[in-house]
Amino acid sequence: MRESGDALVLLLAGGIGSRLNLLVGHRAKPAVPFAGLYRIIDFSLSNVMNSGLSRVGVLTQYKPLSLMAHIGTGEAWDFTGRSRGVKILPPRTGEKDADWYRGTADAIRQNIDFVENNPADQVVILSGDHIYRMDFDAMLAYHQHKKADVTIGMMVVPKRDIHQFGAGIIDSDNRIIDWEEKPAIPRTNLASMGIYIFDTSYLLRTLAKDREEVDFGMHIIPRAIHEDRVFAYPFYGYWRDVGTIQAYWEANMDVLRTGSGISPEEWEICSNPEYGDQPMDRQAARFVSGCDVRSSMVCAGCVIEGTVTNSILSPGVWVRKGARVHNSVIFHDSVIEENAVVDLTICDKRVYVYEGAVVGHGDQLHVANKLFPKHLYTGISLIGKEARIPANARVGRNCRVNLGFQEEDFNGTLELAAGESI
Amino acid sequence: MIRPSILAMVLAGGRVDELGVLTHYRPKSAVPFGGYARVIDFALSNLLHSGIERVAILSQYRSYSLINHIGTGAAWDMVGRSRGISILPPFKDYSNPHWYRGSADAVFQNLDFIRHYNPAVLLILSGDHIYQMDYSRMIRYHNERDADLTAAFVKVPVESASRFGVAEIADEGPCGGRVLNYEEKPKKTNSTWASLTLFCFKPSVLIKVLTQNQDAASYEFGRDIIPMMMQQNYKVYGYAFQGYWGYTKTIDEYWQTSMDLLGDSPKINMEAWGVRTNLHHRDIVNRQPVKIGSQGKLSNSLVYDGCVIEGVVRNSILFPGVHVRSGAEVNNSIVFFDNIVHEGVRMNRVVCDVDTVFNRGAIIGAPAEEGASGGVTVIGSRNVVPAGMRIGHGCVVAPGLAAAAWPEKHLQDGEALQ
Repeated sequence: MRESGDALVLLLAGGIGSRLNLLVGHRAKPAVPFAGLYRIIDFSLSNVMNSGLSRVGVLTQYKPLSLMAHIGTGEAWDFTGRSRGVKILPPRTGEKDADWYRGTADAIRQNIDFVENNPADQVVILSGDHIYRMDFDAMLAYHQHKKADVTIGMMVVPKRDIHQFGAGIIDSDNRIIDWEEKPAIPRTNLASMGIYIFDTSYLLRTLAKDREEVDFGMHIIPRAIHEDRVFAYPFYGYWRDVGTIQAYWEANMDVLRTGSGISPEEWEICSNPEYGDQPMDRQAARFVSGCDVRSSMVCAGCVIEGTVTNSILSPGVWVRKGARVHNSVIFHDSVIEENAVVDLTICDKRVYVYEGAVVGHGDQLHVANKLFPKHLYTGISLIGKEARIPANARVGRNCRVNLGFQEEDFNGTLELAAGESI
Repeated sequence: MIRPSILAMVLAGGRVDELGVLTHYRPKSAVPFGGYARVIDFALSNLLHSGIERVAILSQYRSYSLINHIGTGAAWDMVGRSRGISILPPFKDYSNPHWYRGSADAVFQNLDFIRHYNPAVLLILSGDHIYQMDYSRMIRYHNERDADLTAAFVKVPVESASRFGVAEIADEGPCGGRVLNYEEKPKKTNSTWASLTLFCFKPSVLIKVLTQNQDAASYEFGRDIIPMMMQQNYKVYGYAFQGYWGYTKTIDEYWQTSMDLLGDSPKINMEAWGVRTNLHHRDIVNRQPVKIGSQGKLSNSLVYDGCVIEGVVRNSILFPGVHVRSGAEVNNSIVFFDNIVHEGVRMNRVVCDVDTVFNRGAIIGAPAEEGASGGVTVIGSRNVVPAGMRIGHGCVVAPGLAAAAWPEKHLQDGEALQ
């Protein structure tokens, strides 16, 4: 049982995550499927549940429908009961505020009535788009022990990556004494994970000060370290911001590797089985005679007749006879037809790859995508939801096939050279 | 508000001795099936898809596993103002000190429940069978014929007919016809229509015949009620069921019926049939996807989430949480939840109940050569099979054995270990 009281949790789940490109074409980043049968937000929600916290507000903004449906009543994470609950907090117009959220702090400020109506000594503010396991109860105890106003979850990252994060400089007591937001030339390798614990009274006071302070990392925290008690809570372990296609793909591959430090089942990560394409009505995965599956994860409802290596298959994927899937992440109910090949590719839901087509063709791994050179440049190709790749097509590396692409859209045999989009 | 006019009562109480160790701690209807589900899920899913919303489950033997499995009934959509599953355990009251003394007695003891819902049609069915059926067609047939009782029958090979209740049915069309003659488990018969233990009753008639039957010494629908109704010239119809019907009365039948899930064109397709189960039972819902290691090899098998496959799995069905370590081989077997199969273990034609650990190098079941047969070996739950142990074919190992109970090296073919 928790010893640190019943803190209120606010989960920021509104980000676009636009670098995930087609995967966020019609869903918010936290709702992107991960490791076969989870969604990214399941990690945060399960951490909250496993920390014994039970009152959660989820702040949504961008394309919230699939996220809202996925969270449902919150029962999957034990958030139902007299004193427990998960509330979706969409943006709204009020007497004074009529804007979309302008930043993380602004989002909390616009929902300050929710904080006031759910009295708690502390407020835990999390982002819904990271892959990790963490005990917030221990962090709360640390926060109380340090008599902190704010405690920030921080971890050591390679210096070359620090420019994506808020970076903190700490004294020997872990008190943060200086702060740099996304520094070009870093002075430290201690990065903020976007996990904050605020004393509620302090949060209310600090948010009331200046309405132009709209972001925690940019405004609130830099001011707070000079005026108030701000501590770093060191985190050791697996943590990934899967905000880019490359990082997303790597984290999925990490789930396959023994010893990579990520294990959803051991971490007690729960998903909502009663929404959408989850395994509620799926039968056991069927491995047909003659199939060859190695170093992969396969969900219930899949039928494997062909070859699958180093890949993650969500529920209901069919890999037909002679088809080969390598180094790929395939979402729900996609079909890889006979003798088709899929390599180094992320296929969204209900993608159909017809007979003999090759996705991830050739060896021009370094020809970046022409439309999105900053999203697709490591060789990974992206196939949008419900796209249909015609028979015998050739789709190269770093390609992007749009949502719902169909054969009629194209005359003749489809040949997509490396870096092209359609 | 429209109230349900059909009440279904599922007979789920029985323990079947031939299934032995699989039913030490659960009734037969709660025996796992198909890699994630339980036998009773077939009946409950049929009820769901037939639009029947008021269901009672008559449960007597070791009901905990079953009660746990049913939960709120939400898995089968049986939660709502007019929808629900009630579990009806045996009880004592002023006049009745008995356990359920048979299927008919179980229903009789719950006549109050039936009167309370006052249904137009009472559907009574066994929870022990593997099949897909739309009960609403049978109910329509029952109503069209204005029958007192309509029983469902399926064609079986004549040599196995004597294990069932068998009937002669008048040829009145594809749906069936009047039952001309009925015998329960006859020694010899030419009839091939076997009873599915699935009945539509006119409630008023049922109440009458069950009350009459209370004076008898036996209280079974097949053995007592149907013959009695035939004798008294009630309108008894036979409804012909055309699909697959699997039964699991013995270990060998359980194994065979399970094997019907495999192959290139499986006879049982649980997903197409819409079989639902309670994913919260045994925490199925929190299992991660099947993980296949670099040495894993799978062929003609069903494997559910939560398994880790580093060895070889052929022609087998694995429930959530089974680990097959590298160098282990699982052939022609059905392995229930959370078994650990260590390095070098070989099993062939084995049914293993939950939570058993097979230590290194144990060899269980029939020899693994192609075409070799021999009786199925069954291993009870919560066992720790010692390293290097050899267990023959047709063996039975009781659940939860103490380490001292194991023989030194091997268990001969056909032996039972208590």
